[in-house]
Amino acid sequence: MKKILLSALLSAPLWVLGQGFQVNLQGQKQIGMAGAGSALALDEASVFYNPGAVTFLEKNSVSAGVNPLLFKSAFKQTGSNVTENVKNKIAPPFEFYAVWGPKSNKWKLGLGVYTPFGGLVDWGNDWSGRYALTSLNLKAIYFQPTLSIKITDRIGIGAGFVYNHGEVNLQRALPVNYPDGRSGHATLEGTGKGYGWNAGLYIKTLSNISFALVHKSKVITKLDNGTAEFDVPNSLRSSFPAGNTFNAELPLPSTTSLGIGIPLSQSTTLAFDASWVQWHIYQDLSFDYATNTPALADTKSARNYRDGSSFKLGINHQASEKLALRAGVGYAFSPVQDGYVTPEAPDADRYILSAGLGYTPTRHFEVNASFFFEDVKSRKQRNIETGLDGTFKTLVYAPGISLTYKW
Amino acid sequence: MKKYILNSFVAAAILFTAACKPEIETPAGTSAGQANFSKYIAIGNSLTSGYADGGLYLEGQKVAYPNLIAAKMTSVGGGAFTSPFFTDAQANGSGYISLTALVNGTPTLTPVAGNGWRDTPTNSRLFKYSGEIQNLGIPGMRVDLSFDPTLTFSAANPFFERLLTDAQVGKTNYFQYIQGRNHTFFSIWLGNNDVLGYALNGAVTVTGDPTTVLTDKVTFSSLYANLLNALTAGGQKGIVATIPDVTAVPYFNTVKPSLLLAAARAANPAAQAVFIQTGTGSVRVATDEDLIRLPFQSAGLFGQGTIPYGLHPLNPIANNWVLDKDEVIKVKDYVNSYNSSIKSIATSKGLAIADTYAYFNQVKAGIMVQGIGINAAFISGGAFSLDGIHLTPRGNAVIANVFIDAINAKYGSTIPTIDATQYRGVKFPDAK
Repeated sequence: MKKILLSALLSAPLWVLGQGFQVNLQGQKQIGMAGAGSALALDEASVFYNPGAVTFLEKNSVSAGVNPLLFKSAFKQTGSNVTENVKNKIAPPFEFYAVWGPKSNKWKLGLGVYTPFGGLVDWGNDWSGRYALTSLNLKAIYFQPTLSIKITDRIGIGAGFVYNHGEVNLQRALPVNYPDGRSGHATLEGTGKGYGWNAGLYIKTLSNISFALVHKSKVITKLDNGTAEFDVPNSLRSSFPAGNTFNAELPLPSTTSLGIGIPLSQSTTLAFDASWVQWHIYQDLSFDYATNTPALADTKSARNYRDGSSFKLGINHQASEKLALRAGVGYAFSPVQDGYVTPEAPDADRYILSAGLGYTPTRHFEVNASFFFEDVKSRKQRNIETGLDGTFKTLVYAPGISLTYKW
Repeated sequence: MKKYILNSFVAAAILFTAACKPEIETPAGTSAGQANFSKYIAIGNSLTSGYADGGLYLEGQKVAYPNLIAAKMTSVGGGAFTSPFFTDAQANGSGYISLTALVNGTPTLTPVAGNGWRDTPTNSRLFKYSGEIQNLGIPGMRVDLSFDPTLTFSAANPFFERLLTDAQVGKTNYFQYIQGRNHTFFSIWLGNNDVLGYALNGAVTVTGDPTTVLTDKVTFSSLYANLLNALTAGGQKGIVATIPDVTAVPYFNTVKPSLLLAAARAANPAAQAVFIQTGTGSVRVATDEDLIRLPFQSAGLFGQGTIPYGLHPLNPIANNWVLDKDEVIKVKDYVNSYNSSIKSIATSKGLAIADTYAYFNQVKAGIMVQGIGINAAFISGGAFSLDGIHLTPRGNAVIANVFIDAINAKYGSTIPTIDATQYRGVKFPDAK
């Protein structure tokens, strides 16, 4: 029975799943299982992974964790023998959760604060793609109050409202030269906000195989009155007026996930998640400047993302009463089509490998650690808009740790 | 024990992270293919010498396309590449022009005096350069004058005279000069001036000035074959370049009759039309098919006089300022003829061809190179320097890659390409 279900899922029509700016680091236990676990009522991170499972958590708890992420990307211009690397900058995806409900009642309340999208790429001001991008620092912080209700002893539903606080800092060099030969520079910086929701269904069958269906809505994040600063020689100042501002919109996609949890034994559980990320809403990146000049028109850069998808398989093994071991593998299909790969998200299909462990020294405390690794495939591209022509290769490393207090 | 496991887990993670960098494997810079780059020489004119902004000066010399190519050849067996650089004390060379102001799109171009002249204030003789030379580009050199039978061009051209010993001056021509250099590889980008010299003078040949002559097509073909015969005498491999369409450069596509008329009407709404004197001597209304030379915009002639210059049939823009549409057709015809000769002779000798004619036509339409928009617009286009004909460092880098791609394609070599983003376009003034 278990085998049949699994193969049925694996043979389902291939969803094209996306990564792009998505950061799949929202709970140490799930990260240790490559991001699978929506069908397991593992811990308070279910607020993110499946609000429907929250009500099945046995205890009330609070937890906080961080996953210092190192995005190591390299680029080599077509025909060149020089490989250029991004600077080592650590992005700090984090997560905070609280779950509370009266014991032996049918409902629980939850709160999640987490970072599902983001990007921190700094190629430096001298690299060969600097006229396309020098650095991007993008953060989306979601705040999600949640209510989860047990409909029966085996079915739970939950939903949360999402508020997104977004921050972006995008920089690139401008191909105009000062008398000393250095280039101009543009910095676009702003904060924005958006709204959405996250809802899930959790079903535990009589055979103890569990299922999850979760939908996280899109969050259209609007940036208003961001600052647009242009460093250019003074003779070009009238074309790039000082004190300019811009409006922009970054659509963060919805994700639909289907999960299965399969208890292999008393101490070992298998989790499988398939996610469909509806990146097709990211058609262009547009900047609407408050002041336009003949040299500074509003820009509309085509991104033409298609939907992306990912498949993740994880295992959780309770080695002893206090120690849990985890591992996972996954594969994700990029939403970025040929001709649209940019240095801000040098995306390609990727492999995911992960490992994790949990340690419970007392009844109240728990420490979980994980290591998450992504191997983004090498991709040779000529960008349709910028003409940036070369090969990108990226490896992502993210060790993580969280502390939990339960009562 | 548990803590130990946790600690080692974290430590291993950090170590692993620090150690593993993404790698990208490509063949660039590994093979010379069937070519031998150990001694490369570059034959050509001002473009080859690094002439820019209306002069030959050190900054331009250093980024001449052959120098950029030679630097990349070193990873596939290329040797040293010597150029007749001006010294630091002579860095302004023959003098050049710089952009000192840009107000509402109107540039102010200011001369920078040369300090490379050895006969100041006459300024007809540059400081001599002695020693091995591999960048043999000489501003003003032409295919026909390479064979100058009078041998006088070697004395008349200060850029040529500079490279010669006193005993050679007036006693040699370029064809003789470039031989006997034991090269293993060569590039030749020559012939531009055989048509440009004529076009730059508004298609007016000045009596007694061989640099304003339009070289006969058949003569061009046979002389070009002689050049390639000499350069391949030892079985050497090399690359030839075609001649860009003269109308693809800002020198001929910046000052347009329609823009002149608009400017005239802004001052005096009664202005009817712009009048030119054509090559046949007739006077007529100009259209944008007639190309007016770039220096006209700062010549201070337009609209001057009691009969306003260029705005009345009795005082038209003189013939030597204008490449009228019939002259454009003639000049294009010569360029096409020269190019078909260049390509067929090179093909028969199995040489690589850098089709700069085709490439400059693309630049004219506008291209994107590694995030940089490049086009043939004056100043803002990025490829052409302030004289509207010669290349900026960025233009040199882009053209050098056209050569490298053609060499690699022909000989199976893997000379690495040049990162064009490291080279500047026009310098914009920064004064408050």
